[in-house]
Amino acid sequence: MVQVSLGKYLSYLLAVAASLTLFSVILLVFGYNPITSMEGLVSGSFGTVFLTSETFFLMGPLLLAALAFLVAFRARFYNIGVEGQLYIGALFGYLAAAQLGGFPSIVAVPLVLLAAAAGGTLWLALPLFMRIKLRVNEIFPTLVMNFIAMDIVNWVTAGPLKNPLSGNLQTPALPQSTWLPVLIGGTELNAGVIIAAVAAFAVYFVLYKTVLGYEIRASGASPRAAQSGGIDISRSILAVGLMSGVLAGLAGITVVAGVDHVLAQNFSSGYGYQGIAVAALGSFHPFGILIASVLYAALTIGGESLQRSAAAIPIELIYALQAIIVLSVLIVQKWIGDRTSRRR
Amino acid sequence: MVDYGNLVISILAASLPLTMPILYASIGEVFAERSGVLNMGVEGVMSLSAFVSLWITFSTGSYLYGLSAGIAVGIVMGVLHSFITVRMGVNQLITGLMMYFLALSMGDFGYVIATKTSYLYVRPVSPVQIPILSNLPAVGPILFSQNVLVYASFAVAIVAGLILYKTTWGLKIRAVGENPEASDSAGINVNLVRHLCVILGSALAGLGGASLVLGYLGIYATGDTLVAGRGWIAIVVVIFARWSPNKAIAGAWLFGLGYSIAAIFIGSSLFSSLGTASGYFLLAIPYIFAIIFILVFHRGIKSPSSLTVPYKRK
Repeated sequence: MVQVSLGKYLSYLLAVAASLTLFSVILLVFGYNPITSMEGLVSGSFGTVFLTSETFFLMGPLLLAALAFLVAFRARFYNIGVEGQLYIGALFGYLAAAQLGGFPSIVAVPLVLLAAAAGGTLWLALPLFMRIKLRVNEIFPTLVMNFIAMDIVNWVTAGPLKNPLSGNLQTPALPQSTWLPVLIGGTELNAGVIIAAVAAFAVYFVLYKTVLGYEIRASGASPRAAQSGGIDISRSILAVGLMSGVLAGLAGITVVAGVDHVLAQNFSSGYGYQGIAVAALGSFHPFGILIASVLYAALTIGGESLQRSAAAIPIELIYALQAIIVLSVLIVQKWIGDRTSRRR
Repeated sequence: MVDYGNLVISILAASLPLTMPILYASIGEVFAERSGVLNMGVEGVMSLSAFVSLWITFSTGSYLYGLSAGIAVGIVMGVLHSFITVRMGVNQLITGLMMYFLALSMGDFGYVIATKTSYLYVRPVSPVQIPILSNLPAVGPILFSQNVLVYASFAVAIVAGLILYKTTWGLKIRAVGENPEASDSAGINVNLVRHLCVILGSALAGLGGASLVLGYLGIYATGDTLVAGRGWIAIVVVIFARWSPNKAIAGAWLFGLGYSIAAIFIGSSLFSSLGTASGYFLLAIPYIFAIIFILVFHRGIKSPSSLTVPYKRK
């Protein structure tokens, strides 16, 4: 056991080292200084209280989106519709919030979260139904419904729910009582990141400490073996589908009720898709993802700082680095996994 | 008073160039999936090749160089993708999405660097008026006044169908996707076929991205606002087409038509009475249609049996 996990950590180091080496070469080719750039990434994400709070704010939606993908993935249900569920969750959360202006925060905030969770789940209901009852692979329905969700949010923010006083395509502000509480005054860090961290522990508990979690993992690891062992795979998939939708809806509302305080067009910078990268980077384990989401968020915030800095390195290069790191981790882990399984 | 006849003709005429990039990419995806590999990176490959072909054509003035560069980008990404998924056996879905991020961000990065010195644009390839036929009423402007890249996309689809169904190569590809073990026993190098199909598929996605820029838009835009989902659509079209390149023509055209209707209606006075925001509904129509299609025809939709399953010799 110890040897396996040691190999796992070494594989991480190897993969990250390889990615950073490749990244340095790319930086050199384009005439940037790799050493000051790396320093800039670190100081740009953790250098000040404000930047650190930005990093931990961004961690929230990334972690929730990654958990939404992970929990379904563990039962071999590929929910690549987290992005759409996140948008519909945010829309439902907004609609609830707009009605709850007169209520105190202690009532309003949980109801808004509940509405968002319901919205996210609702948007996964059709693909879930298609998978369980019609045996249609979920990859395409979940993907396609992302675009429909975005069109719906684009429409309401440009039409029926648009704030007529604003030039931007967005709704009026949410009532202040529905905002997620700010954790550190003067920053954007809000309770969203706590919700996300609690969710990570909850997902861990369900997956590893309950019978349902055992069934989910068994269904994903080997559907045939699970079935002959008497596990109802449809039940596992239904369970992960519901959890996934809830987590995705929460991911959306932590941005809308946490920072933006309006529902705006394209408010998600692809968090639903980035969550899949974070889940892969965290080896599809809730605690791995907890760490991976900090790393991923730090790279984004650090990258944004680098773009603003004198070096003016385009953020797109950091996005490429994120993809390279995840791909390297996947390749190296697969390589080491194959070697160790062959030795046994 | 709106001239409905001309409106329909202009919608149909505009639908074909909008079909073209989707069609190229979906033919490529048919090959990859037929051999058993799901390539979810199409959108990214199209985006990167769109930038590279624009940049090369802008710098050299040659459409041929730009087009070749776009295809070359597809080949390089295909080699990388097939190494990771076929050789290493890493999860195809996750790999594809990561390749999407990688290719998209590389294209965007290249564009940001290149536009520091000059604004990149090209004049899209001019339409070829086919003699006599292009003068036919209605059919002329719709079918016979398109550019060569549009015509070629339909030709490629037909040739791809012939390869897949009428040649031993096609037979091997289909066999590998349906039953890799039996194909291996029959002496087919399963993973070689997969490598080649993924690379061919990615090359066609590259051609799709290049055709979008050189044959239609003439510019690039960052943040996936240029390819704007056409790569994902191509993957959906493959299901529509039930993994047949010929049926992909119809599938891709359906989406091309959807884009064309949306583009024309959003700008027209006909629609402003309903409120400009309702244009977003039109954009959603192809996707809603895709969901309904899958719901209605789910019994007839059967993907290649070994799709997404890596092959290892025992």
